[in-house]
Amino acid sequence: MRDGLRPDWLFRLVFLAALAIALAPVTLVAAGAAAVGWWRGWPPRRLYQGAAWCLPMVIVWLAAIAGWPSGSAPPGTGPGPVWLRLLAAPYRAWLAMWHLGAAGHIAAAAVAVAPPAIPLGILAGGLAWTRRIFRMQSGTGGLTPAAPDRFDARQWRHQVRTAKALLAAPGALPLLSPNGAVVAGSAIRSVGHRPVRTAAIPYDRLRSHQIVVGSTGTGKTTLLLRLWAGFMAAGLRRYAAGTAGRPLLVVLDCKGGASSRKVADRARRVLRDAGARDVAVWPDEASLSLWTLPPDRLVTTLLDLIEHGTGGAAYYADVMEALVSLAVGAPAGPPVSSRDFLSRLDADWLSAAYAASGDAAGVATARSGRKAVEDVALRFRTLWRRLGPGLDGGGSFANADAWYCVLEGTSEPAVAEAQARALTDLLASYATSARREILLAVDEFSSVSRRLPIWQLYERARSLGLAVQVSAQSWEGLAAFEDERYRIAATAEGGIWLLRTPRPGPMTELAGTRIVLDTSRRLGGAAGWSDDGSTRPRLAPVLDPDIVRQLDVGQVAYVYRGGVTYVQVKRLVGAQAALAPVTVVPDAAVAVPAPATVAAPPDAGEVLDQAFGTRRD
Amino acid sequence: MAVSDKQSAAGGRAPGGDRAPGGDRAPRAVRDAPALVFAADMYGVQLDQLAVLTGGDKAARAAAARWRSVGYAQTGRLGPGAQWLWVTRAGLAACGLKYTAVPPALSRLAHIRAVGAVRLALEATAAYREANAFWRSERRIRLRHGVGVREHLPDAEVHWPDEAPVAWAGECWAIEAELTRKTVARTAAIMREILARTGDYGCPAAEAMVPGRPPRHARALYLCSPAALATVLRARAELGPLADRVDVRDLPAGAALDGSP
Repeated sequence: MRDGLRPDWLFRLVFLAALAIALAPVTLVAAGAAAVGWWRGWPPRRLYQGAAWCLPMVIVWLAAIAGWPSGSAPPGTGPGPVWLRLLAAPYRAWLAMWHLGAAGHIAAAAVAVAPPAIPLGILAGGLAWTRRIFRMQSGTGGLTPAAPDRFDARQWRHQVRTAKALLAAPGALPLLSPNGAVVAGSAIRSVGHRPVRTAAIPYDRLRSHQIVVGSTGTGKTTLLLRLWAGFMAAGLRRYAAGTAGRPLLVVLDCKGGASSRKVADRARRVLRDAGARDVAVWPDEASLSLWTLPPDRLVTTLLDLIEHGTGGAAYYADVMEALVSLAVGAPAGPPVSSRDFLSRLDADWLSAAYAASGDAAGVATARSGRKAVEDVALRFRTLWRRLGPGLDGGGSFANADAWYCVLEGTSEPAVAEAQARALTDLLASYATSARREILLAVDEFSSVSRRLPIWQLYERARSLGLAVQVSAQSWEGLAAFEDERYRIAATAEGGIWLLRTPRPGPMTELAGTRIVLDTSRRLGGAAGWSDDGSTRPRLAPVLDPDIVRQLDVGQVAYVYRGGVTYVQVKRLVGAQAALAPVTVVPDAAVAVPAPATVAAPPDAGEVLDQAFGTRRD
Repeated sequence: MAVSDKQSAAGGRAPGGDRAPGGDRAPRAVRDAPALVFAADMYGVQLDQLAVLTGGDKAARAAAARWRSVGYAQTGRLGPGAQWLWVTRAGLAACGLKYTAVPPALSRLAHIRAVGAVRLALEATAAYREANAFWRSERRIRLRHGVGVREHLPDAEVHWPDEAPVAWAGECWAIEAELTRKTVARTAAIMREILARTGDYGCPAAEAMVPGRPPRHARALYLCSPAALATVLRARAELGPLADRVDVRDLPAGAALDGSP
């Protein structure tokens, strides 16, 4: 005989069945609530909230019973003082339900019992659903050993379906929540975080360092665009309120090529919809000026742009440093363009310039470096030819709300490394002088980080108040060395966004652990489990690496402070056309085809004078 | 000149509303339908400008409250001056407009207000009303505009019907509200582009500027802030014969975001 069929079990079963029948309305609502919880993959908390939302109905119902005239007694009410009426209200409603049901008035019976039955039923359903989840998570439920795993997989599917339904609901997921948090999408499941429907992160977390890791085609760009647009919209809102500086987003896309241009175009559209006034795409449509750097910083940056050797080559590096310092620090002031700078790399010019100001040491240095100055000039001439005009224009980071910088890290890594170095120096210089909220987003920075290790970028950004968002296709893509990767990941105070990736192990480790119950049970033969077994607590990773490996496109795990929320990202679509800066055309005859000859239009001064006053000439 | 999308704006009606005492269906939500369409076309409108359309501050606040209650509009204090009102997705659907429902971008508030003031000033003239002219807003132009196409869009077009009782009947004007100082070269390039254009916005690229065809815009009307005026005048001076088709005026009173004249 199976254990479950012992007399005490039988008694409990009969008792529960009788109770369920006696409280049929509550039982029905509880079954429905638990079924909805299962079907939608809801956490029990949502059912409890549903029960709480019924309280106004209960209050109105009780108020009606308390205030009902004593002369009449409709079903569910009765005589007696107010306290007795209130106390007996559920019982009388229950009794009225049975009487009305017996008389064939099913609808009236349902109405009579609904006020107490619905909240109690939802509450009971929530408790049952809690118990079911607990039994499955602890391994004490289910008919077979594989049941908990199957239950979890099925619940994941249900939760994903619910999250996708929320994405499809029009207007359900705005870019910003009413309290100004950035909405990334709908929450699928939370572990260690409060279960919520919409996954929103406070703006302050976007102002901290973050990491985004995901393989190609997993929705990384979609997520990044949403985060960037959210940063821009929330930043502009705070700026309008006068609580923060104007936001500035700088994206360093270190892949390059056509795909980066496509992303740049998408970024421009979504950022413009988010309120950005101008989005500059560097170097295709906008340029920056390296020559705006302070002279001492300019010397360092120029030297960093050139490859140096070690050992004997250090001598040449010193000579170069001396000559570049002379050229930049000339009495005439720092150079204003690459042409100006290259023209100064001339021993005669340097000697004359310093001699005119009576700087004997400068003259001496220029003479000493006479032999090397031609070589130095040649190296810089080559460098500027390879860099192109992107760093030689008149622009500044102040000119736009967002800069999308495309570095050809794949096809021309050496050039991209130099550009990355120059751009970060420019941004660092700008950040010290401008009161702006800056987010620096770098994608695949490891491909250009040979001269500027990413942890240095992190440290520098931290000191300047910049937030850095590093994204990569894999853990290895975050940085060149393992200790650098851990250093970056460990300082990501704003959280880690993890899309599908084949090796989530290190991030899993960083996410931390939680206590789960491990249950072993004895098989009771063909009938299934027996009641014998043991349960022990153990530590399990908060972030399930198997889930991360199986995430679908657009799904991401957000790890923050020892918890994880799995999110279905809401895609942002830029509805408006991309607006590029109007090309300045020097020669009208070339730029615009000649229209048909048009006579001067008739005088419309009557209407225009009335509307706007006299014509201005 | 035929205006294809004119009717869609006029046809805005609400799906629901209260019945008037006489039994006629008088949807409350769209009692000021033209004002709602105005707000939708202009990205948003401040309540003091809305008051011009509804006939007073009280009526404007009532209209805003009514639209808000039926979910057609939202209001908020986005910047200095009066509250802003913008049309929601439901409101746009009721107006028959297929714009994306977004609040006015904070960075464009000043410009949106300036263009709104220009429109109100022009629509207040007797000639505009008698001619039954049509204001085609930038938002409406942008709706037809292909994504990724990089052209300058005017802030609005004004279409004067062929049968209008004015000397310039049949003309299409380009409206530009200039608040900030651009470079002279850039402003002149924009003027040339506007005056040389032959095709509608969103037309095939080959039809955008066809030599020999009559230009789309008979004239360009520049409404300038004091800061931008000098640049615009210098840019116009660089146009040569085309300068006759550029009319430069001051922005009307109340065009500034802070409400200063």
